[in-house]
Amino acid sequence: MRVEVRGLTKSFGAVRAVSDLSFTVEPGQVTGFLGPNGAGKTTSLRMVLGLIRPDSGTATFDGVPYTALPDPSRTVGAVLETAFHPARSGRNHLRVYCRAAGLPLERADEVLRQVGLSDAGGRRAGSYSLGMRQRLALAAALLGDPGVLVLDEPANGLDPEGIQWLRGFLRHLAHDQGRTVLVSSHLLSEVEQTVDRVVIVGAGRLVREGSMADLRAGAASGGTVLVRSPEAPRLADALRADGAQVAADGDGALTVSGRTAAEIGSRAFAAGVELHELRPHTSGLEEIYFQLTAGQEQFAAPTPGAPVAQGATR
Amino acid sequence: MIRLVRAEWTKLFTTKVWLGLLLGSVVMVAAFAVFFTAFAGEDESGLPAVGTPLYEDLILSTAANANILFLILGIIGMTQEYRHRTATPTFLTSPRRGQVVIAKLIAYALAAAAFALVVVIVNYVVVVIHAGARGAAPSLDGDNLATLAASLVALVIYAVIGVGLGALLRNQVGAIVGGLVYLFVIEPIIRSVPATAGAYKWMPGGGLEALTATFEGPDLLEAWQGGLVLLGYGLLAALLGTLLAVRRDVV
Repeated sequence: MRVEVRGLTKSFGAVRAVSDLSFTVEPGQVTGFLGPNGAGKTTSLRMVLGLIRPDSGTATFDGVPYTALPDPSRTVGAVLETAFHPARSGRNHLRVYCRAAGLPLERADEVLRQVGLSDAGGRRAGSYSLGMRQRLALAAALLGDPGVLVLDEPANGLDPEGIQWLRGFLRHLAHDQGRTVLVSSHLLSEVEQTVDRVVIVGAGRLVREGSMADLRAGAASGGTVLVRSPEAPRLADALRADGAQVAADGDGALTVSGRTAAEIGSRAFAAGVELHELRPHTSGLEEIYFQLTAGQEQFAAPTPGAPVAQGATR
Repeated sequence: MIRLVRAEWTKLFTTKVWLGLLLGSVVMVAAFAVFFTAFAGEDESGLPAVGTPLYEDLILSTAANANILFLILGIIGMTQEYRHRTATPTFLTSPRRGQVVIAKLIAYALAAAAFALVVVIVNYVVVVIHAGARGAAPSLDGDNLATLAASLVALVIYAVIGVGLGALLRNQVGAIVGGLVYLFVIEPIIRSVPATAGAYKWMPGGGLEALTATFEGPDLLEAWQGGLVLLGYGLLAALLGTLLAVRRDVV
């Protein structure tokens, strides 16, 4: 099932939370919905799920808006909130939604087992740790065995072991079972190993949409190469003559941009220059992410041709 | 719709709020009945004597005093969704939110009917024992049955008003405090100030008194009219609550 978001816009009073946001989430993949805190991720997801009424724009599941889905629990599962009635047990919490969705009550025990909460099902939800709450919220999303999963910051409060488990679980749901998974996070590093595609937002606008492979390629091509040579000035001249940009760092070190390590190596070989070190210094994904989302405040007062467009088309 | 009503019952009976409110109502009504009967017919109390029709009318209406607790039952039933932020999964499971509010109204009206039945039975049993000991237990004749039934209906309507009020205000503490202030401060003032007493019969409290029983009360409507007024407030609260729950963003 494909999720299509087209032109979503929402203001709260004078604050524009989400601005003309469009993206697509494909089945069989884990899509990361990334952006700094306050970028409008949660507002966007709540609009996609019919909880917040957008000022304009649409979000559909294979063409159908959430509020018009004939059987929402069996179609979309969502983890937006880890809040429960503190006096109600985890199992009873799930049973409430089994009843409301017309599912057999046994589903409550099945999903508790799936998320590893079988032993805690009878306890009051108020006594749960943050990690257990995340698991219970995930269990609720799984009740209807839905083809689409939407998760808002599901890794919050999980211990490293829990995060590891969640990564495997989400990949399994998408890659092995062909489900559509959309997971939001404010940390790229948190989902970097899990997601296949990314949708990056900043200040309520789309900054970048594409595959992780594209993002990695962008990270690689934007890098520099560190070269160390006893004949640094001669190598620098040779590279500059070819049109590369070279900065001499002293002590025989050069920082070269615009050339790959291989190109620099063969140029040095041709010039007969001895090399002691040749090391590509690619800016990491995290750096790219920061570049894309940095200084988003400036977009609050949009100016034509702002760096948004640059980022989106690169 | 039946699914949603049953989901509301699961919510209601998987916490202990209902038990506290039911026990509170029973204790409150039993205590009222005992005190009233103990001082009935005494000169300085000014209360009618045991065995008179006015005494029986009043004593079998004491169940209606639990109206505040039934109002709170309805308020908690609706506002707990916002207080504990379960409104999100609730409206995700049932995105047609009007149906959720209607299911709550039905679920709480039926649950309140069962609770109110317990309360009026306790009311009657306490009175039969106590008034019987004082010489004249009220019989379960047509008049007295109608009085008990009126109390039951009134309690159910207050629970419905509570659900509607909760949907309007969403804030649990605010709705409960507002309900208490209204019932115990605003209405009594309107009832007792001559300039406003004429409007009292059109208010929920006036409708309640007309429907059940009154003692040294102001000008009131007929019982059936009072019942309609009360029902009107219940439906108004339900309608406004439904409309607002459907329109408002769940953030």
